[in-house]
Amino acid sequence: MKRSDRIVGVVILIALMLTIVSWIVMHRTRGAVAVVRVNDKVVATVDLTSLEPQTLHITGVLGPLVIVADGKGSIRVAEATCPDQICVHTIPARSPGDQVICVPNHMVITVEGKGTGIDALAQ
Amino acid sequence: MRKAIAPIVALIIAGAGLTTFFALRTSPEPVTSTYFLMDTVFTVKTTGGDAATINEHLHALASDVDSMTSYYKAESQTVRVNAAAGKGSVSVSPEYAALLKTAVAVEAIDHGRTFDIAISPLSSLWGFTTKDFRVPSAKEISDTLAYSHSDQLVLSGTTVQLRDSRSRIDLGGVAKGYSLDVMEEYLKTVKPQPQQVIVDFGGNLLLYSGGKKHDWKVGIRDPRGQGIIGYVRSDDAFVATSGDYERYFERDGKRYCHIIDPSTGYPGTLNRSATIITDIQPMHGAIGDALGKVFFCSPAGSQRSLFQTVQGQGVVGVVIVDAAGTRSTLGPITFVSTTAQ
Repeated sequence: MKRSDRIVGVVILIALMLTIVSWIVMHRTRGAVAVVRVNDKVVATVDLTSLEPQTLHITGVLGPLVIVADGKGSIRVAEATCPDQICVHTIPARSPGDQVICVPNHMVITVEGKGTGIDALAQ
Repeated sequence: MRKAIAPIVALIIAGAGLTTFFALRTSPEPVTSTYFLMDTVFTVKTTGGDAATINEHLHALASDVDSMTSYYKAESQTVRVNAAAGKGSVSVSPEYAALLKTAVAVEAIDHGRTFDIAISPLSSLWGFTTKDFRVPSAKEISDTLAYSHSDQLVLSGTTVQLRDSRSRIDLGGVAKGYSLDVMEEYLKTVKPQPQQVIVDFGGNLLLYSGGKKHDWKVGIRDPRGQGIIGYVRSDDAFVATSGDYERYFERDGKRYCHIIDPSTGYPGTLNRSATIITDIQPMHGAIGDALGKVFFCSPAGSQRSLFQTVQGQGVVGVVIVDAAGTRSTLGPITFVSTTAQ
């Protein structure tokens, strides 16, 4: 094989790799991940595809919250120091776009991940 | 050999380069900010323009409306009006008077049967203002109902008076929608214009693309679960939802939601949620917000005639989920169901 042919081969390979990387960047998808924020700052990230149940102890604006990921794809607030307990009674979140909110604690759990295809949620 | 391959290689490199270019340089990334006020979450997602500054400014505007209308914050105009109940009249700002006038006009659509800003003594009786929930007796309810209607409210120019000393007004039913009105007024003037702004104020939405006729896909929340039951498509609009699924308490297996039906003094039970889509015009955010309660407290039999009354006033469409979970739409909108009924 000539040296020039080898160069051509390497160039084609690089071009191919660039195309693949771009493709991945354009179409990257995340698995369902729950992001826990207090005052818009991320305090925890939970992989909902994990089969291990997980308990998180975080601190909200009012006080401590206990968040449980059940290992079956759902995440919920198990305990919270808030007067109305709306967050504790909220149906567990599991699909992208789902949220569990504790307003008094300024805490939001959001399931992120690819596409609900929805721009906004009327609720 | 070399001559034959060179153009092909050049072509491949160019192709890969272009692909990379478009992958890495798409439209500007949206900037999302979350704030907490009016006892709810306020999220802004702005794409293009000076997004972070826009988000901050929208938050400041919402805070201003909160300071003006709050039922709780000392120095709010609502607190001043309520404190003077039965004593005398209070002078309010032109903006506050205009908002009161708008709210009273929406009340009149259904003769005060389904929405009333003066119902708040009933909300307090049920414990929704203190979160110390209880089920009052029928007598307590009828006694309180006697002075919990807007006929106690005298509005003349920028002067407001509550006749009975026990009467109270609460603008919680229009304040979020009104905030969206104020935000839209500001967004129109911003330079450079953002490409898109989605404001979600406790589930009340402002969808803004600056008149670019963006085809928005708006999910309708499942009132008994997470996620959506379907979606509607809309041009730029205000979208307001009243539902029984966020603020409520349960006693003996019965659900009592925070929206009090002014005709009974009891929490509304006819529907699970009502979503109102209004076009972008001054005060249509506040009107949509108030109409959410009107439709939420309306029986199925009167919803169609109510809709015909408001359709000419900027209401594009309504999506209702009734107490049995049955969905219905009013107006020229298409509801695309993503789940079985």
